[in-house]
Amino acid sequence: MSDERFFISESDLRALAADLLGAGTEVIAPVAVDACASPAAMASSECLRPGMEPEHLEYRSLTDASQLDLGRGLPVLSLKGYFLPEHEALCRWKQKGTTIEIEAVPTEFAPRVVLAAKPCDSAALAVVDEVMNWDDKDELWNGRRAATTIINLACPVVDESCFCTAVGAAPDAVKGADGLLTPVKGGYVFEAATGKGGVLLEAHQARLSPVADALTEAADADNANARAHVAANLDIDAGSVRDWINTHFEDPLLASLAIRCNGCGACSSVCPTCHCFDIVDEEEGVGRGTRRRCWDTCQAPTFTLHASGHNPRDDQHSRYRQRINHKFSIYPLRFGEVLCTGCGRCTRVCHAGQDLVEILEAIDIAARRPAEVTP
Amino acid sequence: MNIYEPQLATVTELVDETPDTRTLRLEFQDEAVRESFTFKAGQFGEYSVFGAGESTFCIASPPTRPGFIECSFKAVGKVTTALREVNVGDTVGFRGPYGNSFPVDDWKGKDVVFVAGGIGLAPVRCVIWNVLDRRDAFGDVTIIYGARSVDDLVYKRELEEWASRDDVRIVTTVDPGGETKGWTGEVGYVTPVVEKTAPAAANAVAVLCGPPIVVKLTLPVLAELGFADEAIFTTLENRMKCGLGKCGRCNIGPVYVCKDGPVFTAAQLKELPAEF
Repeated sequence: MSDERFFISESDLRALAADLLGAGTEVIAPVAVDACASPAAMASSECLRPGMEPEHLEYRSLTDASQLDLGRGLPVLSLKGYFLPEHEALCRWKQKGTTIEIEAVPTEFAPRVVLAAKPCDSAALAVVDEVMNWDDKDELWNGRRAATTIINLACPVVDESCFCTAVGAAPDAVKGADGLLTPVKGGYVFEAATGKGGVLLEAHQARLSPVADALTEAADADNANARAHVAANLDIDAGSVRDWINTHFEDPLLASLAIRCNGCGACSSVCPTCHCFDIVDEEEGVGRGTRRRCWDTCQAPTFTLHASGHNPRDDQHSRYRQRINHKFSIYPLRFGEVLCTGCGRCTRVCHAGQDLVEILEAIDIAARRPAEVTP
Repeated sequence: MNIYEPQLATVTELVDETPDTRTLRLEFQDEAVRESFTFKAGQFGEYSVFGAGESTFCIASPPTRPGFIECSFKAVGKVTTALREVNVGDTVGFRGPYGNSFPVDDWKGKDVVFVAGGIGLAPVRCVIWNVLDRRDAFGDVTIIYGARSVDDLVYKRELEEWASRDDVRIVTTVDPGGETKGWTGEVGYVTPVVEKTAPAAANAVAVLCGPPIVVKLTLPVLAELGFADEAIFTTLENRMKCGLGKCGRCNIGPVYVCKDGPVFTAAQLKELPAEF
């Protein structure tokens, strides 16, 4: 691993993406797409207004390097789906009479590169690595992780819903990533963070040049600015929050967080760390089918529903408490990592106005309050 | 290794325990797995019918009887209804064993009291046979078992076998109105029958399993009889998908039933949030 920093011009960065594509390597990167392309979005007022052509960013597998969007917005969905797909086969079966034949699915994957990942999205992968490996190893997750080299693009902070620094991440962090690009005049400061990142830089060194001190200083200053900017959005003590939640399960604050929530589960879909899944069998004709895992959400009543009809979490408040408890107490207590990287997507996507920044502020205040004045 | 890929097993025997409860005996098709498979009393697995999906139950046979595993289930959901349809010779899937176990070896020299209600006898049966297969290692063995009606008593052949042994004290009971003409057992709910049977608590452990209401009502009765919270063991069920601590649904507060359980002491239950 090298701590050396290089300069790469924007055109060379695009050329690097083109080189990778030319060599047959999949490249995943933010791409600007027509925000009104999906049937759901078409009904939104933005898409109905004449003359409007709104765009949003999505992580896509590039077909051409020109698609690479180096703007600094946040893709609608995180990188999660490239490691834990929305749905994926766990195995396939064929039945003939009383015999069953199982067809295994591959757990090794072709090498691929993610360019311009958001630091909150790569950090989420490192956080979820823990649960995927704490005892039995999830080789589908691990196979995709091993095959992927991730280069982050330092983030200027998107809006007031961002709070990565409050949960141990940062807008210029390389947690979960193999390298970092920081925008500077005319291009990027490019540095490796892991051996895997070093290999990528070395393979493309013809596109790199030494970086002037003035540029690295500018990059560092920009990154420091971004950190200060996001830190102003939320300042909590994650350790106190963790311990307070763990000891206040029945506290009225925790037991009534879901006043606005209607349990749609959109927060789980957009969350880079929500990894809960369901396993279902899908028949694909007579005597054959696929056992599949698909994203699930703790916000759905069926998530914990027993066959007997008993449901341990039978109201939305208890389901929302589970979401907060899992992210900010259960997971940190077990794995030492907060199950949240402060991307703010859950707040932005919520049509009912559940605001995680607000909720964490409230819990932080409760956690800091001396025990004797707790009502 | 793909941890979600099931082993294939052949159904070699089936017993209809009650009108809606069935026991299947399964033998692994892969010879190496058949020979190397081991588990501990109290562990569970994911049983599957291909096309219907997976369902979670304990292994109801004891580890002291290798070569096969058994499961008992009530046909209430999609998978259990499909499992109810399989015949001898059919192939099903199994992943496991998962979870912790009853610390049976720590009970050597102690009296063991089993209390079960309804289908709750399935996880307890595994422990009963595990103890009876090494009968000399333990003190007095008492089994108190209740069901809604005589029809609903599971493992009837084994209940008779246990009753015929002189080294087991067994009390069976059915809810009032559930008795038949020839019924010679007790009539009443499990909890008062435990109170009446009053097994000695000194140098004893209790294994309690049944519907939540039976567990809830019987815990204080056992405490009253002198059983310490650390000497009362139970096994919890929660909806699970992976069984491996990843799918995120079986937790009770910070405790994962699939990894930290399913076996808990009454002392551990008291530490849990009331969300199960």
